[in-house]
Amino acid sequence: MKLIRVNMTDKTIHTEDVPPEYAGLGGRGLSSVIINTEVPPRCDPLGPENKLIFAAGLLSGTTMPNTSRLSIGAKSPLTGGIKESNVGGMIAVAMGRLGIQAIIVEGQAPEGELYLLKIDGNGNASLIPAQEYKGMRTYPLVEKLLATYGKDYAVVCIGPAGEYKMPIASVQASDVDDRPCRAAGRGGMGAVMGAKGLKAILVDRRGKDGNPVADPEAFREAVKNLVQMIKSDPMNAEVMPNLGTAALVAPVNSMGGFPSYNARKGVLDGWENICGERMAEIIKERGGNPTHRGCDQCIIFCSNVYVDKDGKYVTSALEYETIWAMGGMTGITDLDVIARLDNLCDDIGVDTMSAGVAIAVAMDSGYRNFGDAAAAIEMMEEIGKGTEFGRILGGGGVAVGKHFNNPRVPAVKGQTIAAYDPRALLGLGVTFATSPMGADHTAGNVVGAYLTGMLDPLKPEGQVETSRFLQIAIAAYDTLGLCFMASVALLNPEAFEAVSKLIGAKLGQTLGPDEFPFGLGLRVLKAEREFNRRVGFTKEDDRLPRFFYEEPLPPHNTVFVIRDEELDSVFDF
Amino acid sequence: MRVVVKLYGTLGQTFPGYQPSRGIEVNLPEEATVRDLLAHLGLPERAIVIVGGRVLPADAGLQNNAPVSIFQPIGGG
Ligand code: SF4
Repeated sequence: MKLIRVNMTDKTIHTEDVPPEYAGLGGRGLSSVIINTEVPPRCDPLGPENKLIFAAGLLSGTTMPNTSRLSIGAKSPLTGGIKESNVGGMIAVAMGRLGIQAIIVEGQAPEGELYLLKIDGNGNASLIPAQEYKGMRTYPLVEKLLATYGKDYAVVCIGPAGEYKMPIASVQASDVDDRPCRAAGRGGMGAVMGAKGLKAILVDRRGKDGNPVADPEAFREAVKNLVQMIKSDPMNAEVMPNLGTAALVAPVNSMGGFPSYNARKGVLDGWENICGERMAEIIKERGGNPTHRGCDQCIIFCSNVYVDKDGKYVTSALEYETIWAMGGMTGITDLDVIARLDNLCDDIGVDTMSAGVAIAVAMDSGYRNFGDAAAAIEMMEEIGKGTEFGRILGGGGVAVGKHFNNPRVPAVKGQTIAAYDPRALLGLGVTFATSPMGADHTAGNVVGAYLTGMLDPLKPEGQVETSRFLQIAIAAYDTLGLCFMASVALLNPEAFEAVSKLIGAKLGQTLGPDEFPFGLGLRVLKAEREFNRRVGFTKEDDRLPRFFYEEPLPPHNTVFVIRDEELDSVFDF
Repeated sequence: MRVVVKLYGTLGQTFPGYQPSRGIEVNLPEEATVRDLLAHLGLPERAIVIVGGRVLPADAGLQNNAPVSIFQPIGGG
């Protein structure tokens, strides 16, 4: 497998074999280890010393299904620490099939210059001036790119928010239908891409068998076994293909842990109007698609296509976290509005969660009322146009809180939370506080332990252990390029053994019993924490904001009760 | 006792004519537990039952007239 290094300062491109120190890594493991090795921790995230890594999963481009994740990593302009944000769609598989493990973007183009990076069917990369695409939103951009270069390309790109270098700017990836509706949202990777002077990357999808497997026979056997496990998981067999991740709206509200009105309540009034069950009904009535294959080689279909009353496309993969941020946090209970806000986020190129919370903090500060749909749309347009207030919103919830002198910002390490209130779902608070990524849910989503009856969300016992276990396992799965839905079906010892065999067959090695997921996951987390330490983060940064400890959350009227020493024990290694 | 049950995920589809806004009314013996309710409805025991914001274990008792929500297990999101 190859690494492609692209220097935006002098426009040179070098291709090299993956060096021994990065061997056996892909996805998050590769991006985080490269950053910790090569990026000066105190550099300006938007300057030439930062590097932007696009790493395909170790297994992307093999026959293993649901390995279509691309990890995008850099020093984050939002958190100031290390960041990995991963995205599905088509591009990771395309890279894997061309034998490209990662693209490393270095240096910086002079202010005002803009480029495309195109990788053709032979794996040859070239930089193409892209002035004509300046300022374009992602939907028209991808349409134009594919009209120009042909339909056989997978695309990742930024919208205007990335060009403005907003700290909540996303990188958008094209899905199976060539729509840029899948997002590496968190941590401002779009801003880093914009700062480099890179508008889009196109990768030819016609590569064949580029990701080598040492023992094809054993690999096939392991894949068969794992496919069986993924398909027989009740969540993946029933819930995801019918409701997608929006299935969580009802249970999380029912547990009283759905942060609503900028986390003033744990249940949203009228959540029944925006829950997954209702969404699936609306999509079916209008002739949209509730069971959509969002990403290459997917066998679960958690995606959907949301359409308006006339059956016209509005957005794809209306997801739980977006429904929460744009609905729960803002008090908007109209799915049509939420779907439109989702589309605006993708088109402008910002993270839906961060944008929704930024809007909610503005509402909480009295700028507009909760539930004001027109105001939310107007604020999104301000972000898109880059107005003065739009740039404050584009800085995320913390920037908005500062602007209004409002300390009620649900953020850790500068990144606002996802759709789980730490006061009612304690384990999520542990993950939010301690993840090297800032308040991130995918890093160790304890909600699964609550909704399989393994753990009581309101009792402190077991929260730290569960968060630690999940954070390690997910760091390992993020390295393989496996999507989150498939990963949660594979969190038991039997699955770990099967995955160890799969990796062994791919690499031509026999993995020891502690190597997957623990050895691998710990290696990734250690690299990430080391980078953050060198940036200057201390254990004081592994804390939730004050109001989670002080302000009881209705209906349970509880606060976050995990002690600091327990939080410090999560990564006591 | 009588409880009103709301079904989520795809569970409603297994009950013909199920209306999400109304739920199902179920009559059970006085000492009935979560396990009894699930058995009565023909739902698997791994289903997640939430009453009053709490996930109840299978042997927890139910209260007369309590609104009960039932979900399929979800391992993450
Ligand atoms: S389950 Fe969802 S996220 Fe995973 S590959 Fe399929 S569509 Fe993509």
